[in-house]
Amino acid sequence: MSAMDPTEVFRQEASELFEVLEGALLDLGLRPDDRELVDSAFRALHTIKGSGAMFGFDKVASFTHEFETAFDRVREGEIKPTQDLISVALAAKDYIRALIEDPQSTDDVIGDGILDDLKRFVSSDQPVAPVAEITAAAPVESKQAGWHLYLEFESHILRNGSNPLDLLEDLCKLGPCFVVPVTDGIPFLDEMEPEDCYLKWDVKLHAVCDKDAIDDVFMFVQDEMKLTLSPLEHVEAPAPMPLFQLLDEEPAPVAEMPAPVAEAAAPKPAAKAEPKSEPKPEPKAEAKRDDRGIATVRVQAERLDELMDRVGELVIAQARLTQLASSGSDLSIKMIAEEIERLASSLRDTTMGARMVPIGSLFGRFRRLIHDLSRDLSKPVEFVTTGEDTELDKTMIECLADPLVHLIRNAIDHGIEDTATRAANGKTEQGRIELAAVHSGAQVLVTVKDNGGGLNTARIRAKAEEQGLIAAGAVLTDHEIHQFLFHPGFSTAQTISALSGRGVGMDVVKRTIENMRGTIDLSTRPGQGTTVTLRLPLTLAIIEGLLIRVGEGRYIIPLSAVEECVELTAEDERARGRNFLNVRGNLVPFLRLREIMSSSGSPDRHQKTIIISTGESRVGLVADQIIGNHQTVIKSLSKLHSDVTIFSGATILGDGTAALILDVAQLVALAQSKVEKQHISEAA
Amino acid sequence: MNESLAGEHQTGAMQVVMIGLGEEKFALDAGLVREIIDPVPVTKVAGARAFVPSVINVRGNVIPLADLRIRFGMPQLDNSADTRIVVIELELDGEPVLVGVTADKVYEVTEISQTDVQQTPRVGMHWKPEFIRFIAKWREEFVIVPNMERILN
Repeated sequence: MSAMDPTEVFRQEASELFEVLEGALLDLGLRPDDRELVDSAFRALHTIKGSGAMFGFDKVASFTHEFETAFDRVREGEIKPTQDLISVALAAKDYIRALIEDPQSTDDVIGDGILDDLKRFVSSDQPVAPVAEITAAAPVESKQAGWHLYLEFESHILRNGSNPLDLLEDLCKLGPCFVVPVTDGIPFLDEMEPEDCYLKWDVKLHAVCDKDAIDDVFMFVQDEMKLTLSPLEHVEAPAPMPLFQLLDEEPAPVAEMPAPVAEAAAPKPAAKAEPKSEPKPEPKAEAKRDDRGIATVRVQAERLDELMDRVGELVIAQARLTQLASSGSDLSIKMIAEEIERLASSLRDTTMGARMVPIGSLFGRFRRLIHDLSRDLSKPVEFVTTGEDTELDKTMIECLADPLVHLIRNAIDHGIEDTATRAANGKTEQGRIELAAVHSGAQVLVTVKDNGGGLNTARIRAKAEEQGLIAAGAVLTDHEIHQFLFHPGFSTAQTISALSGRGVGMDVVKRTIENMRGTIDLSTRPGQGTTVTLRLPLTLAIIEGLLIRVGEGRYIIPLSAVEECVELTAEDERARGRNFLNVRGNLVPFLRLREIMSSSGSPDRHQKTIIISTGESRVGLVADQIIGNHQTVIKSLSKLHSDVTIFSGATILGDGTAALILDVAQLVALAQSKVEKQHISEAA
Repeated sequence: MNESLAGEHQTGAMQVVMIGLGEEKFALDAGLVREIIDPVPVTKVAGARAFVPSVINVRGNVIPLADLRIRFGMPQLDNSADTRIVVIELELDGEPVLVGVTADKVYEVTEISQTDVQQTPRVGMHWKPEFIRFIAKWREEFVIVPNMERILN
């Protein structure tokens, strides 16, 4: 942590604050009266300003200051946050972000323009008061004449570049202060570390100000200091006195401290809780500490990846140990092997759990997208999300962002009709887009659903014929026709808008999802809307697999896809030409893996069938032997094998050999195309 | 091609690993070679292109095993006591890829100097010229410096 570039820390922190700010602003558009939201937006702004100044982002600090000043009128309740104001505020937020991330791309003129807009929206007869005065004049606690502060910094405070004197100076800006240094901590000269801070301070602040204002002064060092704060009851003459007199009158401050109200001894800075909306005045310090109680630790993502790799290696080594132990006869080794197997599997679960991120963090980003799109296209849209708590591997969350942006854009641009059309069709003026995530077995389903016009099957068909993808008059189901949307370069949009219609997109979306070993499905009802369903595996790193043998080779089938295993009966065997299996009255097509793998040698006498399924389709895979469960650490196949589609990856077995993982979706598709061919040949 | 040749001329000597495939000797740029290991059990990949028929486990990584003999139209010999797998690292489409290469024999790590470098003759070759970076002379023998990126793409 300490090795990290402080500017980088600021950038990270700022990007989180931007998310908070944006979320609060967007929510404010829906619930303009919610004071909590105003406060949380304001807090985020204030922190950006403070840290910006601290890390030398002066432009950020001064711009944010202006922004904050303007926004303060909203906080004071003088101005209602209108949609216009929120749009400008969002633009201002983007500008600050640009100032931090890419200062070259910004221009003061743009910033001034945004500020002018902001001021115009919040303008009224009064001039806007600068923020420092506001905080100083903020809610007063009853009849209280000031604060008594006792400041004790950790000895290493100076090494971090913090200067207690600067803080005291800031404190003095709140009102007249009497500052008495407490010197009893100073050691003998020969024990003194020149870089340590030994002084403590006892401060009487004669100002009527909010406790928050004091907390703000120490905001950036609060983890490295003890601040004891108590109200000053009686008014003391704020006239300057000679120092000796002061010392005489004041008893040694350490010994006689009034009951401490708040003692901000906080845990290490890594355990920083997200700024949450806290109840306002007194219990603030308490609430803050409660937040920290949940103790989230920020860990670099690469470390988690490394941890996962190590666990993967451990699982492989453990599999070898188990194999070795089971072939021997030493009972105690077997017991240890079992113990290690149990530990490895729980370690695997924990590690994977640590990589899980709720998908809500992703959903939040789309609200802004929808807000902007719905304004640009003048299509009012209600955006509903459900299942934000659904957890997914963090790498998957990252990979999902782009496809979802695409699907949402499509939904607004193509899906939702314009207001007039909607009214004509008897629909509500406001369109609706639902983004939902839900667990389904070992998969997560993410759906993007709109209540727009639905897909125009006839037009897709016409376009497909025009592009020569199908022969005119070919018999295709609607579902098959919709698959053309995933064809590279396929677009039915009559006009190309800035957003969509260029025909790049759906094929990329599909590829991205399939690279994650997921599937994408479209369903539509004319006039009612379209639903796009993404089925994703929970994780990319380790899966439960079923180990099978085909000829000499061993393969893994992801256990999540396996429905059941049955023996291939003599009757099924006899009907060779049919390649259908009778599973309790249902006909299931099957594939002989021996043929696909072109295995040599003769097949085992009792062939086993593993029934796998994706969505609605079921397919049987015929293998020589079912070996058993296998904790499968997924290794991707190299580029040299990217043309092989029936395998989704490889793993390493207990004896150190590599085994290939079957790609279930591809095999099902293969079986289905075989079935269709058979139909055609039968029909002919 | 000429550029890379010029590069070799400037740097003078080039470190290579000399391997034998069938009757021929190939010089692999030593900079590419990560390690040389004894044969390990291979896993056939059904449907893969003939010159990368299988994968192997090298220290926990599953890497493809390439067979240059197929690319050069040579007969495949069974593994002998001399057979080794040379693990090389290549850039394919901008990404580093580890590939194992079966060698019937690994001779030595040696240097071929610039004066030994011969231009690839345009005629009289039954191999695709793009597979060959250049031909060098080593101990009075002609050795082929293959263009691994081309061969494996």
